[in-house]
Amino acid sequence: MVSVINTVDTSHKDMIHEAQMDYYGTRLATCSSDRSVKIFDVWNGGQILIADLRGHEGPVWQVAWAHPMYGNILASCSYDRKVIIWKEENGTWEKTYEYTGHDSSVNSVCWAPHDYGLILACGSSDGAISLLSYTGDGQWEVKKISNAHTIGCNAVSWAPAVVPGSLIEQPSGQKPNYIKRFASGGCDNLVKIWKEEDGQWKEEQKLEAHSGWVQDVAWAPSIGLPTSTIASCSQDGRVFIWTCDDASGNSWSPKLLHKFNDVVWHVSWSITANILAVSGGDNKVTLWK
Amino acid sequence: MKLKEIERTAVQAWSPANNHPIYLATGTSAQQLDASFSTNATLEIFEVDFRDPSLDMKQKGTLPASNRFHKLIWGNFGNGSPESSGVIIGGGDNGVLTMYSAHRILASKSEPVIGQTEKHSGPVRALDFNPFQCNLLASGANDSEIFIWDLNNFSVPMTPGAKSQPHEDISVVSWNRQVQHILSSAHPSGKAVVWDLRKNEPIIKVSDHSNRMHCSGMAWHPEVATQLVLSSEDDRLPVIQIWDLRFATSPLSQLEGHARGVLSVSWCQADPELLLSSAKDNRILCWNPSTGEMVYELPIQSQWCFDVQWCPRNPSIFSAATFDGWINIYSVMGGSLEAQQKTQADKISSSFNNLDPFGTGQILPPLQVPEQVAQTTLIPPLKKPPKWIRRPVGVSFAFGGKLITFGLTKAPGQQMQQTYPHQVFISQVTTETEFLLRSRELQMALQSGNLLDYCKGKIQTAKLQFDENLWNFLKVNLEQESRAKLLKLLGYNKEDLQKKIASCLSNGIPDKQPLPEANEANTAQSDQLLINTSDDVAAVSSSSAFFDNLIPQNISALEIPVTEDTDGLISQALLLGNFEGAVELCMRAERFADAIILAIAGGENLLKETQKRYFAKRKTKLSLLLSSIVQQKWQDIVCTCDLQSWKEALAILLTYAKHEDYTQLCDMLGARLESEGDAALSNDACLCYISSGNVERLVECWVKNHETSSPLALQDLVEKVMVLSRSIEMLRGTAGPAPGPVLAERITQYASLLASQGCLAAAMDYLPNSSKELLIEQLRDRLFHAQGGNVGDQQPPPFPYARVNVGVIKQTSPAARRGSTPEGAARKTGPKHPEKPSYQSLTPSAPPQPSVPSLFTPQPVPALSMTPHHAAAAPQASAGLQTGVYSRGPPYPQYNLGMVPATASGPALSQSQPFSPAAARPGGPASFPSQPPLSGQSMPMTSPGVLPPGPALFTPASLPSSQLPAASPFPVASQSPLGFSSAPFSCPMNMGYPQGGPGAPSTKPLPAASLPPPPTAQESWTDPSARGGLQKKKLPEKFTPPAPITAPVMSLPTEPQGIHPSLSRLQESGQSPPGAPKEGSLQYHQLPAERVERKELPPEHQGLKTTFEGLVQRCSAIATDPKTRRKLEDALQRLETLYEKLREQALSPTILMGLHEIAHCIEARNYQQGLLVHTQVVSSSSFSEVSGFMPILKVLMTIAGKLNV
Repeated sequence: MVSVINTVDTSHKDMIHEAQMDYYGTRLATCSSDRSVKIFDVWNGGQILIADLRGHEGPVWQVAWAHPMYGNILASCSYDRKVIIWKEENGTWEKTYEYTGHDSSVNSVCWAPHDYGLILACGSSDGAISLLSYTGDGQWEVKKISNAHTIGCNAVSWAPAVVPGSLIEQPSGQKPNYIKRFASGGCDNLVKIWKEEDGQWKEEQKLEAHSGWVQDVAWAPSIGLPTSTIASCSQDGRVFIWTCDDASGNSWSPKLLHKFNDVVWHVSWSITANILAVSGGDNKVTLWK
Repeated sequence: MKLKEIERTAVQAWSPANNHPIYLATGTSAQQLDASFSTNATLEIFEVDFRDPSLDMKQKGTLPASNRFHKLIWGNFGNGSPESSGVIIGGGDNGVLTMYSAHRILASKSEPVIGQTEKHSGPVRALDFNPFQCNLLASGANDSEIFIWDLNNFSVPMTPGAKSQPHEDISVVSWNRQVQHILSSAHPSGKAVVWDLRKNEPIIKVSDHSNRMHCSGMAWHPEVATQLVLSSEDDRLPVIQIWDLRFATSPLSQLEGHARGVLSVSWCQADPELLLSSAKDNRILCWNPSTGEMVYELPIQSQWCFDVQWCPRNPSIFSAATFDGWINIYSVMGGSLEAQQKTQADKISSSFNNLDPFGTGQILPPLQVPEQVAQTTLIPPLKKPPKWIRRPVGVSFAFGGKLITFGLTKAPGQQMQQTYPHQVFISQVTTETEFLLRSRELQMALQSGNLLDYCKGKIQTAKLQFDENLWNFLKVNLEQESRAKLLKLLGYNKEDLQKKIASCLSNGIPDKQPLPEANEANTAQSDQLLINTSDDVAAVSSSSAFFDNLIPQNISALEIPVTEDTDGLISQALLLGNFEGAVELCMRAERFADAIILAIAGGENLLKETQKRYFAKRKTKLSLLLSSIVQQKWQDIVCTCDLQSWKEALAILLTYAKHEDYTQLCDMLGARLESEGDAALSNDACLCYISSGNVERLVECWVKNHETSSPLALQDLVEKVMVLSRSIEMLRGTAGPAPGPVLAERITQYASLLASQGCLAAAMDYLPNSSKELLIEQLRDRLFHAQGGNVGDQQPPPFPYARVNVGVIKQTSPAARRGSTPEGAARKTGPKHPEKPSYQSLTPSAPPQPSVPSLFTPQPVPALSMTPHHAAAAPQASAGLQTGVYSRGPPYPQYNLGMVPATASGPALSQSQPFSPAAARPGGPASFPSQPPLSGQSMPMTSPGVLPPGPALFTPASLPSSQLPAASPFPVASQSPLGFSSAPFSCPMNMGYPQGGPGAPSTKPLPAASLPPPPTAQESWTDPSARGGLQKKKLPEKFTPPAPITAPVMSLPTEPQGIHPSLSRLQESGQSPPGAPKEGSLQYHQLPAERVERKELPPEHQGLKTTFEGLVQRCSAIATDPKTRRKLEDALQRLETLYEKLREQALSPTILMGLHEIAHCIEARNYQQGLLVHTQVVSSSSFSEVSGFMPILKVLMTIAGKLNV
């Protein structure tokens, strides 16, 4: 059962490309072809515009909220080849970092699980994926995977942080030995899984099933099971659910969830990973259990 | 950027949009010869595979063709069958039109040519498939020849109408993209003719007045039916004209940018705002036809490109065929070719076989490929974002089961053509309707406290026998006399048994078993007694009373026959008081009954000895049972009984086991059942755990045998757990201990599930407040903030993550932060980051996280908290401590959640402890460092300062656990020189303080363990100087402030809630809390009063005694039934317990109020109402407080009701 509880009038002057709620589900960030990013307070059925962020010189494709432990931080990416990281400082939103290392439209941004530190993956139409890691005191370190997807990368999505063994965070800054992975989807019709080994990002898996651009990938949140799940959707109207049962992450098997008659633009998992929302060019949102 | 290349002098055709993978067909170009002067013709198919980053394309099929090609086209015809890949049509040199099966070429099958015709008189340069009917093909050749072919019948073409005059070549034919019967043709003379196939005639001619147009290309607008573009090959007019047939007199606009004649155009089907053109100026441009803007430019090529084509399937790529014999594939999205350059270099290197090709013994170094190439390939992407990349719709999930959607028009009727929808919808997704329904029921039951009805409902709807049993057990736990009722559930109904015995005795059915008669009678009698006693008293408390009664009754029943009939020797021994001898004689003579009766008279030791000998001699089925019961070896029963008779074992425990052993024994029995691993027995084990009230074990056992992953299964478990913990809470009047890991996990799971369905507040309620589990803390934090402003009175929980400051760190004071915040943001940041400022106040060494251990180390705190208030009483100090840690912290400490060590609530709550009021109060000693975990529970630091006499007695070492009444400081106090003797304590004065006084943290976990106002002398405390002096001297060194965070309760009983306002008022107004010496001195008298000599009842409670005793008398006057009379006698005795407590001021205001109300009802002879009040009081107070007298009041009122006095 889906019931609309709030309608937010964003007053964007052009097509909206993304709307994301923050960690707590009380703030909404939207971005649009009108080159702006807007932030609204939306709890209690109301809406208060908090910020109208200008800085991009092209359509803004995606926004992503960082985990609140890093403060109120929002990343946005645009056709103008830039990634901007915005931060709320003293109640006002400002640009805190701008990344201009891509040669083409940056189509997707996604923050890594907060346990890894503040890391942003960015997928671009130049085929590369950049990983921006905050190293402290305003500094960011950039790693770039060139030619990750020929013609372009459309989506990136991190795997949930799974630590072999203890879940307790070490306060002293010693990070547990996480295996960092993320998935990306691109114009080469592939879903790829990348894994960090000795500080270098390596292609771990190539998942082939789509016959059109992979428009979106979504790695399902961990629900304590050993299975990893990824949803991917494509221009060809197909939505695949990929699952991997073994810990080494080597054997992924696809299952066709549905074939739509139009482009499927977006897939999103619910927090408890039991529902997948799919939105397509037919202007319909479907929910799958 | 260039993606692929092949060296071919050829015309090209992309595979149709619905074909996957993407192929490119090439056919040897007519009118072009290479240096070989070969006139062979080949049709090839290449796969365009972008998974391979190299520039190569794999040839997937090849076929020698009979003639060279002017035009190649690939259509969908025949694509219905799975193995088909459509047809490729080639327009040949001499009017030949050939139809190939793409599939047959790809599969290298025979007869790839499926049709050929030579109807055209000259070279066929123009071909187009109808976009609506894939079997319709238009072709154009010289002499204005246009044919329409039906591929199903390839031999006979149609014509669109009479040939246009004058005859000339047809350069392009194109079907309209919107109206299927409209076709247009373009002619080198510069005109375009639009044909209507229904009318079979040209309907409009488009031509520029300048007459300088030389049409090389033509394309219909992909979306607007009336628009088309014409490109001019004439170098004097190198333009692209956009025409609208509605105003066909002159072009709408002209795209000017090429320096020389335009050779081809291709209109992007995925985005009408993108039009490609290639020209003799060696450039390939992309235009936005609607604005006329040039949005993309491919840098100068080495040669003319005579044909550009968008890829129908992959919208951002196009192919370009050049006169110098290359077909290249480019992307319009920019990007660099680094990787490709590298692979090319590798390829060149490897082609030279650098593994020592010359046998020189030296391996050649890798070939150096000039870097310059890579730099020039960096091409900026389309200036205009292409439509296919602009995501028009979207959906995402957010915390709390919210779904964010946009791009959807709500009402289909609304026109959203020009303006894009600018609304974002936030929806609540609920999927687990049944789960929510049941969860709501549970929530309501828990809130209203009407759990009995809830259980009844569950029993009625239970589908499984086991489930029904569980609910029955749970229900009984909520009721009075639960033990007796549990026995009934186990199938042991006392009334029934009594009847059976009675009938057995009266029928005189001879017992075949060789049991002595006396023994039989004895057993029967004990049953009888059991029934009587347990009727009298609440079963839970009856077991010890049973034994009290058992022995004297036996003696009085048996003494008389002894004197009458004796053997000579025995009587002699008796006469001399030699019981041992007499017993010995009886045992020899196997006169067991006599022996035992004598042994009773002979004292406890003799009785025990005799019992032992008796059981040693008599080995029957029953004897083990008898011996266990008589010798009270319950553990033996539990450990040795056959598991199939677990019910019987449990029944024994229910009947006999002392309260403090009961829990443990039930658990032992449960553990035995559980360890069998048998599902049925595990279910029985669950029943045992319910009986014992062991929630954690119940959960552990449950999850072993039931899946709890599905919402409803989880709900099943949580329902039981919540009802059980609530019943235990009611019984003990306190919150249960912090949930163990297994329970915590399930509860968290449950809360997450509730949250995911949007029930944030409910989810928050379930989260165990005391838990330190990181996951729970995180969920709590998230739930709290997710509710935004809806959690009015609560303070935010500590942020469960280590904060990281991003960006250049700026020094801003908290005040400045808040001051400078714009309104909207301030409101948001305020509640969201309350802990930020406080972290700054912490010592640098402290981790930026409210780490649990540091809060619980009492050591560093005293100095800090005591300095400002050195004379102040502890509660204030503890408040100071709290604010120190959370400078914007909560006034209600119970919301400093989740940091309590389990031990804090553990000891006081363990069921096995007899819960006397004195024991319930940690009192003075608790505040000493020796017992840090307890210190938070109750007004701890007040005590040291309050006990002026005998300070030496209060050294921490000399203070044993406050749990032991005897060891509590009270005795000392009562014997102190100042004395606690004179005036009876005035209760009302104390009323306000017992809970509020010690400071909020303390009373929270132990609401019912309110501080008993002891009967002390006020005078002894009126000397302020003595008191003050003492405090100053002793406080600072002695006490350790309590941990600021105390055991919270999962669901707060109503009672303590009422305290908050007053407490917060106290704190806010800056007054000393009641514990402070100046005003709250009464506080200090509240020491347990266990051994005080009996005093008068406080006058205000005198009425209670009068009423209750009056009622007993009235009843006794009428009652004739001996059973009733006995009850009434018992009542008088038990009421003494009540009076005792009244004297001790040991009862909480609620209970006192209840008692007065009951008395009032009794006076009014409204016993029904009295019983109702009674139930209320019992259900809202702690077991320990009321167990001594409440049951008898009930019995009394019941009797009174029956007797109608």
